[in-house]
Amino acid sequence: MAFFRSLQNSAFTEWFLGSDSIWAYPTVLTLHTVGMAILVGASFVIHLRVLQVAHAIPLQRLLPLYRFIWIGFTISLLSGLALFVTEAADRIVDPVFYLKMGSIAAALWLGLIVKRRAIDRRGAPEVTTGRSRSMAAAALGLWTIAIVAGRLMAYLKSAA
Amino acid sequence: MQEFATWLESTWISKSLFAMSWLWPLCESLHFVGLCMLIGGAGLLDLRLMGMFRGVPVRHIKAMMPWAIGGFLINAVTGLLFLIMQPHLYLSSAVWWTKVAFIGIAAANASLFETRLALPALSMDPDADMPRAMKVVGACSLFSWFAVLYCGRMLPYLGTGN
Repeated sequence: MAFFRSLQNSAFTEWFLGSDSIWAYPTVLTLHTVGMAILVGASFVIHLRVLQVAHAIPLQRLLPLYRFIWIGFTISLLSGLALFVTEAADRIVDPVFYLKMGSIAAALWLGLIVKRRAIDRRGAPEVTTGRSRSMAAAALGLWTIAIVAGRLMAYLKSAA
Repeated sequence: MQEFATWLESTWISKSLFAMSWLWPLCESLHFVGLCMLIGGAGLLDLRLMGMFRGVPVRHIKAMMPWAIGGFLINAVTGLLFLIMQPHLYLSSAVWWTKVAFIGIAAANASLFETRLALPALSMDPDADMPRAMKVVGACSLFSWFAVLYCGRMLPYLGTGN
């Protein structure tokens, strides 16, 4: 706890939140949203396709979208770490923060399972199985929960 | 424009919507979900027009578009609600007008595609290299939507004079 308090009260936090420069907090916050758009946008497309939207697209052709998922994830993770440091002590005891992190971890994990079951497998059938579809639907729900939890954190912060 | 904003803010609808404290966070959450649907769906078509996913016919990709349009509609409705609730915040912001301009560019670009390029795109050989016009339209769309996102997210920080 003392560690997270020291992060939150660090010189970095003071500079990062206090700076008038749009290149500090506003740009990192915007990068966090750009990363989300790439990560969740690509995930939405894959999971919708598993749910048979645009079913004429062969699933294996969507494999390059996983590259975008990792690019978006990296952008969001790095910007998210910087944002976390500035509120470390508040967030480490915030259940909404854990809801967001848990949803993201579960959604990414489901994305990897869907990839293994429906995309990587050679000669995988174009019509996905019920199990894959359930996982895709769950992943869509989890991404939505992660986004709502992320938005909510901003309000809990201003209330604190 | 200032007068219009002042009038809008004084209306019953603006006051009662803004008085619902849960509405703003709800609209923000929906606005973020909508943007993922829009950038995911439209981005897929844009990347295809730019030459990625070669071998997949453009018409198969277009079957994803109702979800992109759905995302856009969610954001248009929630965005309109933001505007009704806090008209001064947006109407007096150059960044907001820049955002609106980029939405206009993206829309003009999409209608150019639909009216001039969609038919040849739908009937072309899926393995062929994309003509330059289609690559430009795809890149313009992708750039415009990310510019819209940038303006929206930076709106509280840019050009506010602090």
